[in-house]
Amino acid sequence: MSMQTTDATATMRATGKPAKKKSSGRLMILGFLSPTLLILIFMVAYPIFSLVFYSFHNFSALRPNAGMTPAGFDNYSYLLSDPDLWQRFVFTGKFVLLCVTLQMIIGIFVGYQLQKSFRGRDVIFTLLMMPMMLSPVVVGFLWRYMLNSEWGIVNYMLTLVGVGKVDWLGQTDAALWAAAAADTWMWTPFIILLATAAFRGIPETIYEAAEVDGASQAYVFFRITLPMSAPVLFIALILRLIDSFKQYDLFFALTGGGPGSSTETVSFAVAKTAFNYFYTGEASALAVILLCIIIGLSLILVRHLMKLGERY
Amino acid sequence: MMAVAGGECIEMTKAQTDSVQKLTQWFLIALLAVYTFYNLGPIFWLIISSLKSRADLFAMPPVWFFEPDLSGYQQVFGVGAAAESASAFGVLDSLISSVVVSTVGTALAVILGTMGGYVCSRFNFTGKNDFLFFVLSTRMLPPVAVLVFYHLMFARLGLADTRTGLVLVAVFANVGLATWIMKGFFDGVPKEIEQIALVSGYTRLYAFFRLVLPMVKGGIAATAGFCFIFAWNEFAFASILTTTKAKTLPVKISAASGATGIEWTQICAAGVVLIIPVLIFFYLIRKHLLMGMTFGVLGRR
Amino acid sequence: MKLRHTLMASAAVIAASAASTSANADTELTFVWHAGTCADALVEIAKDYPDKSVSIVPALVPYGPEWHNKIASEFAIQGDAFDFAMWDSQSTAEFAGGGHAVKINDIFADSDYLSAEIFPASSLSQYGEYPDGSGEFYGLPANQDAYGLMYRKDLFENPDEQAAFKEKYGRDLRVPETYQEAKEVAEFFTRPDEGLYGWGQMGGREYDFATTASNSFLWSFGGELYNPETFEVEGYLNSPASIDGVQAYVDMFQYGPPGSGNWGFDEVNAAFQQGQLAMAMQWFYFNGSNADPEVNKFAKDTGFGILPGAVGRDGKFRRQFSVGGQGMGINKYSEKLPELVKFMEWYFQPEQQERYAAVCQTGLKAVLESPDWQGLNSYNAQFSKALQYLNDYWHLPEYPVLLDQLQEEVSNAVSGSKTVEQALTDAAKKHERTLQRAGHEIKRSDSTPEVPDQQIAPVGMDDVVPVNN
Repeated sequence: MSMQTTDATATMRATGKPAKKKSSGRLMILGFLSPTLLILIFMVAYPIFSLVFYSFHNFSALRPNAGMTPAGFDNYSYLLSDPDLWQRFVFTGKFVLLCVTLQMIIGIFVGYQLQKSFRGRDVIFTLLMMPMMLSPVVVGFLWRYMLNSEWGIVNYMLTLVGVGKVDWLGQTDAALWAAAAADTWMWTPFIILLATAAFRGIPETIYEAAEVDGASQAYVFFRITLPMSAPVLFIALILRLIDSFKQYDLFFALTGGGPGSSTETVSFAVAKTAFNYFYTGEASALAVILLCIIIGLSLILVRHLMKLGERY
Repeated sequence: MMAVAGGECIEMTKAQTDSVQKLTQWFLIALLAVYTFYNLGPIFWLIISSLKSRADLFAMPPVWFFEPDLSGYQQVFGVGAAAESASAFGVLDSLISSVVVSTVGTALAVILGTMGGYVCSRFNFTGKNDFLFFVLSTRMLPPVAVLVFYHLMFARLGLADTRTGLVLVAVFANVGLATWIMKGFFDGVPKEIEQIALVSGYTRLYAFFRLVLPMVKGGIAATAGFCFIFAWNEFAFASILTTTKAKTLPVKISAASGATGIEWTQICAAGVVLIIPVLIFFYLIRKHLLMGMTFGVLGRR
Repeated sequence: MKLRHTLMASAAVIAASAASTSANADTELTFVWHAGTCADALVEIAKDYPDKSVSIVPALVPYGPEWHNKIASEFAIQGDAFDFAMWDSQSTAEFAGGGHAVKINDIFADSDYLSAEIFPASSLSQYGEYPDGSGEFYGLPANQDAYGLMYRKDLFENPDEQAAFKEKYGRDLRVPETYQEAKEVAEFFTRPDEGLYGWGQMGGREYDFATTASNSFLWSFGGELYNPETFEVEGYLNSPASIDGVQAYVDMFQYGPPGSGNWGFDEVNAAFQQGQLAMAMQWFYFNGSNADPEVNKFAKDTGFGILPGAVGRDGKFRRQFSVGGQGMGINKYSEKLPELVKFMEWYFQPEQQERYAAVCQTGLKAVLESPDWQGLNSYNAQFSKALQYLNDYWHLPEYPVLLDQLQEEVSNAVSGSKTVEQALTDAAKKHERTLQRAGHEIKRSDSTPEVPDQQIAPVGMDDVVPVNN
């Protein structure tokens, strides 16, 4: 690296182009951020504006001839006073908590184990990524098929070990676990991949030093590996949290939101109201409420992340 | 060898600590094996099911040995017995659409995310945290809530049913993810590198392209992998925004109800077919995926 | 390095993709439908359309909400991505009510061939009339369907079974004509140890699965979904007769395999094809594949019949069950109406519809009344008989909302988390709120009948009319 530096330095000096720190920095910031900003603003401006706008109106995009009347906060008050909505939030919360916890724990564990070299490690690693690569539509169908109480493979295996058949998809609690199992199956590789990359970044020298000092495996993991990879892991956590709040395909495929409406997530309710009922105003209000909650949660986590980042 | 248990110092023989270590080793391997079974089992089941006839699919107890039924794959590709079916229409087109949209979308998202992640990692400027949060927030909205608005917007702008439109969607959906992940990786590269370069007379751009970027190849690979997956499997936007001309493959081959009910064979075959390009992509970037950040000369945090 | 390569590659790909959109000077008529044999048939037949400058392009979607959403979304933005679409007959009210479908009466007026007379009046009414009884049509029968009964002939014709049944129940074993009879036969054939169950029906929360079946019970027991004149739902949906019907439906699950409370039509097919069911409620649409030995292990032993009726609490016999099938509607925002009409004039000729009838159910009178049609397969005869017993959901634009609310409550009743009475009462409340929200005024009467069917399009008869035996 030092060799390159000297050569390049000479070249740079020859062309007489000095590095201007401050203005080149600002130029870089501008140049590097503006394309992203432009695209994002272009893509979200109209939809977000529409969303908020319609949330304050009584309107159905499918029945424009019924007209549009301003509804003030009616949509919001109706939704927020609906006990069904709170039940959906509770259910969604349970699901998100379950999934994120499972995925983080399993993902970090597996990622850590894969740090050790063993034969075929690379192949196994690539194979383990596969559930994440599947189309969510297919995942929904696959798990619905596997969890069928009569001819599903899961119940078959349960009968083999002596446990009876479980009605996975027809009871609320069982369905929650079933969906969590499917979601965890699909997204743990996401955590594994990020965790692996994070762990890889910790220099060998630190581990060597720890070994010299006689630190136990547990100590190394909890006091060295985890803290040093915390920033990336935290990002993984936030991303998974945001994504699992949006989960809809899975519940649709597995239970259709039933029995009754007990396995409808808030996202499911938004989809139903927006597309099935085409109550555009109400759906928009519901989406705004959901968005506020997700933003609120993320803000807390992101602030925490920033503090973590400053520490390291 | 000393081990601490319950606050007391216990003298253990080397043999004892070794066996404890060995037990833990085996226990961890067992856990890993269980996870591998959980992870790969359903994939295996998917592949097998894609070759089963409908009768075999619902047989109880499940059949492990059976005569392969290729009708699912035939329906997906629109060949053989399914050559005349309406589903055969435009399979190749949708494959091309998917490849184009996913590759271009991923490339753009990764490029933009890398650039954004870099400046957010290196510089402190007013609005940085706001920018970061804004970029992340684009991911928070469930697509269904805004689909109609996008549909309208795209139709008015002439972007409906076009690949360009879908590329925009792919970029929009993934640039937040890309920015945050890349920022995380850039955070792991010491700032000293650029400082040294600047002091030595290089431009920031040079430092970025030649010095820092190679060090986050692992991060770029991981980001590209995720973006490709999300872009490839994107369904909600694609199904509403496209009708015939720019239909992507997942939308095309998931239309799976037929004369016998739900065409499970076809869905499973579709699932298998859809995963192959993603596997190919991951195989191409495998070297970079398994590499992390390197620290070269510095070797310290 | 990698970045530069990626950049160049992206640029090349963008250039290539921009160039690859082919220009087509001919007319393309695009239609939306769910994938399946009927869509295949349409595309196949369309290939022979004499005007070669017109091509029919399918835009297929998965069966289920996707299908409704694709059409609805396009209508919502008043787009012309498709020119015509097949939608579930119940959606006609929704789409026509929103003003998105072309009024077919205008086409009838201008066309030499297309007219209301070429379709059976009841079909045209079911699949296209909105509002009910107005004579205004917004859809044509594209594919007719009805709910039906499948059963294992070998079990019913087995002399040992017949003897055992006679001994136990004191009457002859026969394909049930009433749900009361069906219950006994189902109980008789429910032998979990042998892997055999008496009755298979849908109970799934999704789409219209549970209510297609529960409505068939509800109507047969004399219940009604609502009063179309006054828009009252309370007292009708949860009338004693309605409750009787849905209770009978819920009770039948004890004669089905465990977990069947969650079933859609696919699971019913699968269970029957595996030999698990003695009888099953299933759409005529699937009879083709269920009669196929490649698909159904018990095809040669499978009989197709008419669904039972029921003797209601007022002693009258009623037989009514759900209509299915799709209507074909024309996108009002399409700019290709003239070409489309010309295609329709050709497509609805008997010659083309005969080809269609080979794999799906046509709605063309000429074909349905031809002597060949009845003999085409083993179930067309029953199908034509079944047409007189059909009833349907609400023909209102609020259909999807009402459907979802009823599905939710029936699903609650099936899973046992609510009693049938509570579920139907809750559904009635929700329905009334929905109707009021849509601007319908509910005119309360002083009393509601115990058996609403007596008031609304009564079909009660004094004696059981056997059609299966």
